[in-house]
Amino acid sequence: MRRVYLTGELPIPLSKTLAGPFALFSRNRHVINSRVPDNAIRIDSLFKSFPPARTGWRAFLQPFAASTSPALRNVSLEVKQGESVALLGTNGAGKTTLLRILATLLLPTSGSAVIAGHDAVRDPGAVRSQLGYHAGSDLGFYARLTGRENLHFFGRLNHLADSQLRSRIPELAERFELQSALERQVRALSSGMIQRLSLLRAMIHEPKVLLLDEPTRSLDAIAAAEFRSFLKSEVLKRRGTSLLFASHTLSEIELLADRVAILNEGELVALDTPANLKSRSGATTLQQAFCRFTGHSARALEEPVPS
Amino acid sequence: MMRALRDLLLFFQRDLRIASTYRSPFVLEIVEALFGAATFYYVARFVDSPELKQSLPHGTTYFAYSLVGFAFFDYLHAALDSFDRSLEEARDTGTLEPLLVTQVPLPVIIAGSAVYPFLATTLRIAVYLGWGALLFGFPLHSANWLTVIVVLLATLLAFSGMGILSSAYLLLFKRGNPAKWFLLSVSGVAGGMLFPVSILPDWLQLVAHVNPVTYALDAMRSALLDGASVLQIARPLSILLLFAVILLPLAMATFSWALRRTKITGTLSHR
Repeated sequence: MRRVYLTGELPIPLSKTLAGPFALFSRNRHVINSRVPDNAIRIDSLFKSFPPARTGWRAFLQPFAASTSPALRNVSLEVKQGESVALLGTNGAGKTTLLRILATLLLPTSGSAVIAGHDAVRDPGAVRSQLGYHAGSDLGFYARLTGRENLHFFGRLNHLADSQLRSRIPELAERFELQSALERQVRALSSGMIQRLSLLRAMIHEPKVLLLDEPTRSLDAIAAAEFRSFLKSEVLKRRGTSLLFASHTLSEIELLADRVAILNEGELVALDTPANLKSRSGATTLQQAFCRFTGHSARALEEPVPS
Repeated sequence: MMRALRDLLLFFQRDLRIASTYRSPFVLEIVEALFGAATFYYVARFVDSPELKQSLPHGTTYFAYSLVGFAFFDYLHAALDSFDRSLEEARDTGTLEPLLVTQVPLPVIIAGSAVYPFLATTLRIAVYLGWGALLFGFPLHSANWLTVIVVLLATLLAFSGMGILSSAYLLLFKRGNPAKWFLLSVSGVAGGMLFPVSILPDWLQLVAHVNPVTYALDAMRSALLDGASVLQIARPLSILLLFAVILLPLAMATFSWALRRTKITGTLSHR
């Protein structure tokens, strides 16, 4: 006999969870998230809308169109110094939009995003000096330059001196096991190596905050495991870097995240430790908890009920 | 064999579909071809015309006249093209976003990306003129190099504004370059590249007189072929600088606005 965990089986219907025992996923950020000192990231009442996509001749008006399609709705959260927070949500939930606002690649419609004390809208230059951003793709390098030349170029753009780069690049490359990539053109590297190279680039200026968008997306299982292990040991423990990352891989989230922010259709519906998320939703796995909080299909969550 | 041809056709159809989603380049390229044809028409007409000697600066051969025009147009092309080409390449190779999260602002990234093309073009022009002097009697000995450098700098300033405006257009509309189209196509006819504007119909002469290319070419020919001093080319030089004073701040403001819009619409790195 199998039991199916459906939204309707939540202790309280999802629509009423905002005020009930699920108040942790309330829209009230003070309930979701008690204020913590020394925030690396502080996001307050963030809204982001995009103009609807236009086609044909009407596409000419796209740059001037009003933003009417919401991507983020009243998102508020904080990430402490040295903390690792995962963004969990389905495609289109707003994870990448949130990361891109923090990376100063997008402007929010309203609300504020502050990184290491600097406002992402008012002071984007200062924000960029404090963050490293890895978009999770294996693009973004000059294919005909070597790994070292690429890292040196981007390091210089982050205002690092030649002498700093001369020592830092080999040191980081050794930790990332990328020594062989330094002297090879990027076009000759594997996806996994480029991913690690991209993470190395994001960290080369020793940022206080690291933003990663699906960092193991194009890695094989072994490379992904090594990558996570590296993030855990080097980035989080050794350097104390604050990490905000988006991922669909729940094992990755459970390994790396101190807390998990669940986004659903642009809204932050839950923010807590993986253990608390599971216990509060009566779930045994993070996947179940995610489905219960978001009301998404639980078909994949079928599991036998003990007789 | 047939399979390969069918595959080729599929690729052609795919690319045609993609291209047809960008409407403006089609129109611009059609009109550009019209201006290109007009250019050659007027070249032929001028070469056959008795106006040749009286229209050219004193002692100048048509070869020297047209070589300066051709070489200088290459430079103009670089000024107009480098900014948006660097932006386009960064977008296409995926390096735009990694660049934008560095501590260098986008205008600097774009301007920096234009330095090499400018220098390469300067070198290429030097080679054009060098071959001309070495093999075909181009009168390099009569050039006033100080004035040449001043004219090049003024031209760079005047046309970079158009190049930056063009980048702003590219940011917003993703493809097409109307500033480049306008200046290169219209200037091919009404800019004095290969024939003097005096042989044009009145209405095209009017266009030529509001076209900064005309003044830039006048100044460059005077400096290279007549050995004119900076003072002697004060008029075209001041007009070029006026264009720069008006266009550069306007272009920077437009670019900043376009950048902000793309960050609002989320289309910054879209192709």
